[in-house]
Amino acid sequence: MSPLNRRGFLAASAAVGGAALTNALAGCAASSDTAAPGTTTISHWDWYVSQEPWLENEIQLFEKQNPKIKIKRTVQVSDKYPDLINLAFRGGEAPDMLMIPPSPKFEDQVGMGWLRDLDSHATAQWRGRYPEGSFFNGVNMAQGKVYSAPFRSSAPWLQLYVHNGLFKEAGITNKDGSVKLPKTWDDVTAAAAAITKKTGGRAFGLGFGNAQSASLPWWVELFVRGAGSPAGYGVDGPDYRVGKWTFGADRNYADFLELLLEWKDKGYIYPSSMSIGDEQARAFFEHGKFGMIVGGVWNQTTWSEHNFDDYSLTTLPSPSTKPKAFFYYPPGDRVWAISQHSKASDEAWAWFDWLHSPAAGQRWVEAGQGLSAFPTANKDAKIKSRQFKAYVDTRKYALPWPVPAIRNPEVSKVVIAAVKPDLPDVLAGLYTGQLTDVKAALTDLEGRRNEALANGVKDAQSKGAKVSLDDWVFTDWDPTKPYETKPV
Amino acid sequence: MQLLDTAAPSPAQRRPGAARPATRQKAGLWRRLWAARWSLLYIAPLMALLLTFVVYPIFGSLVYTLYRWNGIGSPEDFVGLDNFRQILQDSIFWRAVGHTFTYAIIVVPIQLAIALVLALVLNNKKLRFSSFYRTLYFLPVVTSPAVVAVVIQLMLSNFGDTLNGWLLDAHLIDTPVDWLGDPDIALGIIILVGIWQTLGYNLVYFLAGLQTIPEEVYEAAKIDGAGRLRTFFHITVPLLRPVGVMIVILAFIGSFQVFDLVQVLTGGGPFFATEVVNTYIYHLAFGGNQAQATEPNVGLASAASFFYGLMLIGFSVLQVLIFRSIFKRRAAGRA
Repeated sequence: MSPLNRRGFLAASAAVGGAALTNALAGCAASSDTAAPGTTTISHWDWYVSQEPWLENEIQLFEKQNPKIKIKRTVQVSDKYPDLINLAFRGGEAPDMLMIPPSPKFEDQVGMGWLRDLDSHATAQWRGRYPEGSFFNGVNMAQGKVYSAPFRSSAPWLQLYVHNGLFKEAGITNKDGSVKLPKTWDDVTAAAAAITKKTGGRAFGLGFGNAQSASLPWWVELFVRGAGSPAGYGVDGPDYRVGKWTFGADRNYADFLELLLEWKDKGYIYPSSMSIGDEQARAFFEHGKFGMIVGGVWNQTTWSEHNFDDYSLTTLPSPSTKPKAFFYYPPGDRVWAISQHSKASDEAWAWFDWLHSPAAGQRWVEAGQGLSAFPTANKDAKIKSRQFKAYVDTRKYALPWPVPAIRNPEVSKVVIAAVKPDLPDVLAGLYTGQLTDVKAALTDLEGRRNEALANGVKDAQSKGAKVSLDDWVFTDWDPTKPYETKPV
Repeated sequence: MQLLDTAAPSPAQRRPGAARPATRQKAGLWRRLWAARWSLLYIAPLMALLLTFVVYPIFGSLVYTLYRWNGIGSPEDFVGLDNFRQILQDSIFWRAVGHTFTYAIIVVPIQLAIALVLALVLNNKKLRFSSFYRTLYFLPVVTSPAVVAVVIQLMLSNFGDTLNGWLLDAHLIDTPVDWLGDPDIALGIIILVGIWQTLGYNLVYFLAGLQTIPEEVYEAAKIDGAGRLRTFFHITVPLLRPVGVMIVILAFIGSFQVFDLVQVLTGGGPFFATEVVNTYIYHLAFGGNQAQATEPNVGLASAASFFYGLMLIGFSVLQVLIFRSIFKRRAAGRA
């Protein structure tokens, strides 16, 4: 074998590089549109993972019904989706059909020419398939034009899941032997104490996975709402009765956090709860390491994949048996939109129309993904899972609430800067003992949040927006009743 | 101290009256470039990548430090130097700086000491399976820190129960420990993992350094009757010094840039107890945590990043100056 000289090495390198380049180019060509002549391919972007079986099934059904249209689906990482879609629009590679990203604001997406005005397709007759009051400026319309449509409906997004096996072992049962679901804060405390004691340290009463500061806020959200604090953990807006965040002024927050710390001190909470993530916590609950966990309907999908169904659920545990505030949602909904730059807008509309049909909605419910925007779909859906049925039955605890942007669209020009530390941080600080004064920490957070709102309003006013802090105040709102926001 | 004396005058410059006409210098430069054309060709791709992904972003992001910008669209909200003011006044930033320096100051000396001892052992030609051991120690380096962190996290959460059980039985603790959720312990665990994970780099550097020391020097020392300790302190350490200085500098720079381990193990929590500067910057640039989707502020993140970059340059220069001063003093002492 002759030694490799420099010229020989260069020649070999060039050959290898050339071959690699040729392969790469061939790969590019292969990945481009290979649909049969006369077939239109629609690019579709979303971030659905646990909802994937439902969506793949819809694609299959749609393509069967529309043989000349193919859907090329791309799943993106949810937390990077806004950046990716932004880059796609900048680079002229935006998909025909897209899930509307949470940022930038919906109005800005319309303003930047990302989304297609659907008025020519979404006629009054088409919109008639939805219940009245489903289309609003700032929700799925902008400047009177339709850009999206409702897809889902709301039920309480958080539930308290209880492990039937551990509850039975601890004797927390009704006379008929079924699990006695906790309804009040005291019930939760008693159940947690019983499980921790009766299992002899093998299991704990409560558990969560707060590794990325995700799930402690959910406990606050679930427990203070029942106590009568309609803003929950405040992520969707302040308490609209007063137009402010009231973490310090409203004693429910401090009361619940004192209770949480008491649970921790008494050893009712799974010790590694701050180390693990929500996914791990879910798995540990499944394996009976603790008896209660707070989570959403997405938990059910994971557990049914594992054939685990020995659990029940309840929502809004309250200091008394009757919750004083509920979960809330803005009227209308938006999930999907068609790109303004789509060259196959008619075909994209056909796909959009398919996803927004009562039949697709019914399949969504039957797949256990959530509730459909169509009441008939929710009613007619054949639900197999006992737990999902229980979730659907909780929808009476979700009501429409005030939406400042409907009353004054100028509100959307207000940018409320993030505060740091925010509620998830403060909760972690209190739980781990780095913050010791609950009331002081909550009052400080309340002040910083309200200051951020005031600064945002001031900033918007200086740029000509006709807004004031009063836009967040709805004195006529009763949190126990549905609220209809009327445009001024 | 060859590595630190890059500014030392060349023999041509040392000659009296060595200034050359500009054209001759130009021709000389061109000749040197032509002579090194193959070397330049081979480093060109790396330089292009360096310029594109390191140098350009550093200066490109400088503009963003003057804006409040969420990273989408073009920056329009000019805030001047307000981002720098915010960073300097943010106690969480300074806490993150403190954690980063704590990490580096603990990791570097411990890791280098272990790496040097292991390198000395593995450099022994009589040691059997030395290649196997080298691979074994280097394996964590080639494993993605994110993967390492996920595995460690799983181990601590699953085995944590068992570990707590043992410790409780032995009456070493009264209540179970939340290994990554306890603010007094979490940073310590990250430091331990950090020492183990990047040990292999320094081990390889030290091995390379040891192999540059001529065997004859050791033989001469042996003939002169020097023992092992004396040989180590009077031959190995002085001859390893130029490489050692570089290893120390690189180890500190690497430790100051710790990110992935922290991000995956604790996300900087609980309540910023393990927040390091890079996770702090990341959280500013890409929003908060899962529970609170906050508006990212790329401008503020750029300001923090730029300021921290300046701090690191300052620290590196300080390190070099300190080493240079130590070596000069020693050289003067010997003279």
